[in-house]
Amino acid sequence: MTQLIWNGLFVGSFYALVALGYSMVYGIIRLLNFAHGDLYMLGAFTGFGVLSVAGGLVTGLGFVALLIVLVISMLVTGTAGLLLERIAYRPLRSAPRLSVLITAVGASFALEYGMRLVAGPNPEVYPVRLAGDSINLLGARITIQQASLILIAVLLMAGLQWLVMGTGTGRAMRAISQDPTAALYMGINVDAIIARTFFIGSALAGAAGVMAGGYYGKIDFLMGFIIGLKAFTAAVIGGIGNIKGAMLGGLALGLLESLGTAWIGGQWRDVFAFGFLIVFLTLRPTGILGERVTERV
Amino acid sequence: MTAYLTRRLSRVALVGGAAVAAMMLSACGNGLASGGGGSSDNGPIVLGMLTPLSGSSSAIGPYMKNGAQLAVDEINGKGGVNGRKLELKVEDEACDAKSATAGANKLVTEGVKISVGGYCSGATLPTLPIFEKADVPMLIPAANSNELVKQHKKNVFLINGTGVQQSDAALKFMKKVGATKVALMDDNTSYSKDIADTTAKLLTGSPALAGRESVTAGESDYSANVHAILKSQPDFIYWTGYYQEGGLIIRQLRQAGYTGKIMVADGSVDQKLVDIAGPTVAEGVFATMTQTPDTIQGADKWIADYKSKFGAAPGPYSTQAYDAVRVAAEAVKQAGSTDGSAVIKALEGIDGFQLFSGPLKFTPDHTLSSGGFQILAVENGKIVLKDTLQ
Repeated sequence: MTQLIWNGLFVGSFYALVALGYSMVYGIIRLLNFAHGDLYMLGAFTGFGVLSVAGGLVTGLGFVALLIVLVISMLVTGTAGLLLERIAYRPLRSAPRLSVLITAVGASFALEYGMRLVAGPNPEVYPVRLAGDSINLLGARITIQQASLILIAVLLMAGLQWLVMGTGTGRAMRAISQDPTAALYMGINVDAIIARTFFIGSALAGAAGVMAGGYYGKIDFLMGFIIGLKAFTAAVIGGIGNIKGAMLGGLALGLLESLGTAWIGGQWRDVFAFGFLIVFLTLRPTGILGERVTERV
Repeated sequence: MTAYLTRRLSRVALVGGAAVAAMMLSACGNGLASGGGGSSDNGPIVLGMLTPLSGSSSAIGPYMKNGAQLAVDEINGKGGVNGRKLELKVEDEACDAKSATAGANKLVTEGVKISVGGYCSGATLPTLPIFEKADVPMLIPAANSNELVKQHKKNVFLINGTGVQQSDAALKFMKKVGATKVALMDDNTSYSKDIADTTAKLLTGSPALAGRESVTAGESDYSANVHAILKSQPDFIYWTGYYQEGGLIIRQLRQAGYTGKIMVADGSVDQKLVDIAGPTVAEGVFATMTQTPDTIQGADKWIADYKSKFGAAPGPYSTQAYDAVRVAAEAVKQAGSTDGSAVIKALEGIDGFQLFSGPLKFTPDHTLSSGGFQILAVENGKIVLKDTLQ
């Protein structure tokens, strides 16, 4: 049982990191950024590229090397998020929401198959692998690397929480999410803040990508699709637009999947997890921490 | 790969629904039109191949395409068949039923006489009736789900060993190494589930079936599935899916402390399996597989030819695609025409034609009479022949 919970929390922390970006972007401009999962993929490939180029320089450093690569990849995916917003979303901000949704789907395909052109269709394997001896904790096998990855995830999320709740940028973000027009009148540079939101959300997805690459080892150009869907689900479970909700939702989905697999078998896992989701959303449409959405006239 | 398709569809459907409908309509129109056409009798004999050139299995496409092209060039170099040259047309199957049916319709309109393609079973299945209507015999080099056999189409021949034959080989080896409790893991696709189902039916008595588990392809974390399967305490685990998930599952099984034997089916036989699992982790993993260029004695010249022509080493199903073209040419030669029913008759009559997998003789089900499955193993990070099961 402890093993099940641990497995669930570990997968869930990946979902949570990606879900944060979904939730932030939705919270601030009501856009479902379908390309978000592909930024996770982009992060994984950036990390792979850096590690391959750096070669022997960093492979000896192991975990430390991955941390350096993590930061570089976060900067790259963050910038990619900025570009995405500038090219694909900003020109359409006043367009009907459906148009932006389609642009997002298009951006997702462009990223996926663009990466296929660059890196080829074959899966790649990370040159640095996190594998180590496991320790036994309350009956669960835990490796130091797993624990470190969760720690990194928690630190990133704590950092984000501080940024949103404790800084001027964060206050501006919250203001825009409540009313962009009023925020503009108050002298907030709305475009810049939205761009910053994209940067932060994308960087978190990129971080998750590098962590997945380093831990699981295999990356491919379609790897962002499923995790994107799962992260979107996690964001909805938690209450989309709510940052703590996204974290909780990610962990909840991870746990649901882990328990579902153990109780009723792998082929029923998604039925269990998503069946539960339907029931849950019927009872609580706004998610765990979501607030009732009031119609804005 | 059908599961992958349906998941993918959920999003694609939003955008692509209308486009696909339009495509299908035009494709159907073409299909009807082709009946009246037909190419002249002295032009090249067109062979069609559906193979994944995009999507998650796109690594396989070039292997099959090049293998087939090599055979076409060799035969043309010797003057062709019945004085006519061969020509190969390749369409993308993408391991997805929509792309495959569109591709099949396109090939039919282009006057293809024999189909020598088909990799993913789920994608190949819907193309069967398309080729049947157009009176095009199919020599399927890779797809080998029993679903294909169960259709009992007169025009369908399988060059690869079937799921049943693979399960038999797997069981033989499990007994040989003294496995007592066998667990099966599949990825819920037609191909993978088929092998797991047939193997499960064979696991009565000793070795016994310890447990079964299906995973969702395309994910990274299978620790929950691994945990579930290890609860049944197997001493032998047989993974019947593809190599991308296979590599991850092998690694995660070992990380979870499993020390028993692991075997994978032919969809997982790729050097990438070893890379993904990690060479030390994958050491000693077994595989059921038909012969590959690397495991065939005396195939050195063939491999050298392939390398010099395409600048890359042959891979899985290069030999089967190569053989499919040769069998097609042989059948046309014996039939003396490219007429569908004459070619089918000739194919049924072929006896002893030498393939990589051994002498060819089709069973009444149009499958190979001997599947030619062998056991490979990972040794020093390479997949090598372990046991011919003879």
